[in-house]
Amino acid sequence: MGELTKIYGRGLTFLFVGLVTIWILLMIVVPQIRMIERAFTFEDRGGETAMLALDIDHAYTEKFQIEQQLLTLQQQGSSGTKSSPAAPSPFTPSMTVPGAAPTAPGPGLAPSPSASPQNAMSAEERQAEAADLRSQIAALESRITDMEAQEDTSSGEAGMKERLSLDNFTTMSALHFKIFLMTLLYAFTVTVFAFVICYPVAYAAAMAESRNKLTLILIGLVIPYAINELLRIFSWVMILEKNGILNAFLDGIGIIDMSAGEGFRFVASNGAVFTVMVYAYVLFMVFPIYNTIDTLDKSQIEAARDLGASVWKIHTRVVIPHAKPGIAVGSIMTFMLSAGSIAAPEIVGRGMHPDWFSQLIYRRFFEADSWNQGSAYSLALLTACIIFILITMAIFKVGVKDIAK
Amino acid sequence: MTAASDVSMAAPRAAARRRSRDWSGALLNGYLLVFFAYMFLPLGFMVIAAFNAAPTPSATDWQGFTLRWFTELPQDKRFVQGLWHSLAIAGGVIAFSIPLGLSGAFILTRMQSRVTTVLYTVLVSPVLIPGIVLGVTTMIFWRDYFGLQAGLFTAMIAQTSFIASYCMLMFMARLQRQDRVLEEAALDLGATPMLVFRRITIPFLMPTILTACVISFLQSIENYNTTFFAIGSSWTLVTEIGSRMRFGLSPIINAIGVIFIAITITVAVTHTLVTRKRA
Repeated sequence: MGELTKIYGRGLTFLFVGLVTIWILLMIVVPQIRMIERAFTFEDRGGETAMLALDIDHAYTEKFQIEQQLLTLQQQGSSGTKSSPAAPSPFTPSMTVPGAAPTAPGPGLAPSPSASPQNAMSAEERQAEAADLRSQIAALESRITDMEAQEDTSSGEAGMKERLSLDNFTTMSALHFKIFLMTLLYAFTVTVFAFVICYPVAYAAAMAESRNKLTLILIGLVIPYAINELLRIFSWVMILEKNGILNAFLDGIGIIDMSAGEGFRFVASNGAVFTVMVYAYVLFMVFPIYNTIDTLDKSQIEAARDLGASVWKIHTRVVIPHAKPGIAVGSIMTFMLSAGSIAAPEIVGRGMHPDWFSQLIYRRFFEADSWNQGSAYSLALLTACIIFILITMAIFKVGVKDIAK
Repeated sequence: MTAASDVSMAAPRAAARRRSRDWSGALLNGYLLVFFAYMFLPLGFMVIAAFNAAPTPSATDWQGFTLRWFTELPQDKRFVQGLWHSLAIAGGVIAFSIPLGLSGAFILTRMQSRVTTVLYTVLVSPVLIPGIVLGVTTMIFWRDYFGLQAGLFTAMIAQTSFIASYCMLMFMARLQRQDRVLEEAALDLGATPMLVFRRITIPFLMPTILTACVISFLQSIENYNTTFFAIGSSWTLVTEIGSRMRFGLSPIINAIGVIFIAITITVAVTHTLVTRKRA
């Protein structure tokens, strides 16, 4: 502290300490403590609140379906020139309404079969129908508001008994626990794959003979790295779709016949989620490893080679030991991202594949409206990640200062 | 540098070694080609589909060239609104992250004490824990203690909690290379700490501050996991893209993708070339 005031004076030091204190308290420590507190508080809620939550969910689903009808109606009317005024609310996600999911809200799509009889309607009928649907939506919206208000009051201190216990964890069903373990296992496998795929690339980049080659490799790595995670996932969904590129390729080489309706549905499986995750998070492994190998004195490799070390020995005895901190950082980042990813399972899975743990957390919060159990689940995920970090740090013998560079 | 060591070698052994090195070098180059094909082909398919008239995004079922998906984009109110939300959040994130990151970096680089390691661990922890946990804790905290429903503000705070850590790490890296003699000399010559800070420390950090602004901006705009949990019923451009993707595929998403990719490539190439020139 003394040195700080000496250089920056009292005023500035006070400002810095104040800001950091606010940061730690309001953004890091107290929120975490609150989550832990909730995780260990069990809400003994009467059936009533739960029913109410269920009703609200139903109302949202209904509203979404009517909105879809309205949308189809408008598309027929205005032949795709107008864009959707009643786009779906983000809180009616596909998993609550799997049946309605495939009707994408984009204009210009083929009308869904359920709406095809309406094709014959005149413009007036269509408008009357639209007005009717709109009034239905309005009625539903006011009902939702009412119910949510009711829910807020009843889920207050009056509505339920709270007690301190481990029940949020112990009531986790066997299925959820299995999903938890599977998620961690998959995340670990993604990490191992990412290392195997990335190590040669990082090595090649660090050993590049010319600056031009290095620049080229780095640009080639930075571009996909910087492209949004969702888009990287989306590009793979296009490949794995039933009408996607992979099936078209198989069709092309004569393994399947797409015109006869054959084709594999690769999406919506754990394998697909896994494949996409490797693709989406692989690059978080490259840069840390590259940065550490880059600092290795190249003459060490020369020396090992001159002394007769095989390629394998050069890597296991010279390069990898030097790259340890980078491998640790890369592993931690890749594991953390894949274990906590909600984008990949949501988009690749379309709510139809076995759940990922992050999706369970989401549903605890936003569908079951059970925040305390949601907190318990996120705490479980957080703990798993911290344990992974500690184990990695121990294996690679690196400290905190090395991992966050 | 390899040439110099090769000369001193006995000729046959060196030749043999060079041959095996050529061989493994070619293998490595081949692997690089495969790797980059793996990285870029899916993105290429996505770009092609953005210009395809087919109503579901496809790179194989070509139904003619069109720019229709791009022209439909600005008419989509939720996307446009989402973009404004994203920009507002990014502005807030920059405004909070830079001062927080700077404060943390000053304290950690200038304070020698046993507390520093603990402080450092706490301040970098947001980078190391899953984004969804950050989103969840922020949402719970602001609702429980301040009665604030999840929305744009909580999304901004949740993002700031880890983007500030990234900024701090960047500032620390820069401060560790600072020559402190300059500051001490100025102080000895009677400059006030405030003046030293304004005339020496801040100018020294300025390039890093600019980089940190750009990186915070990009991180904020692109963030999905944390925002998805912290934003409640509101939305940003990226969470909207995510929910559209879940409802099914539409080439409008590909059109957005092409725009994102174009921006990314421009920034990435400029950045790489600029840093290369400087080095």
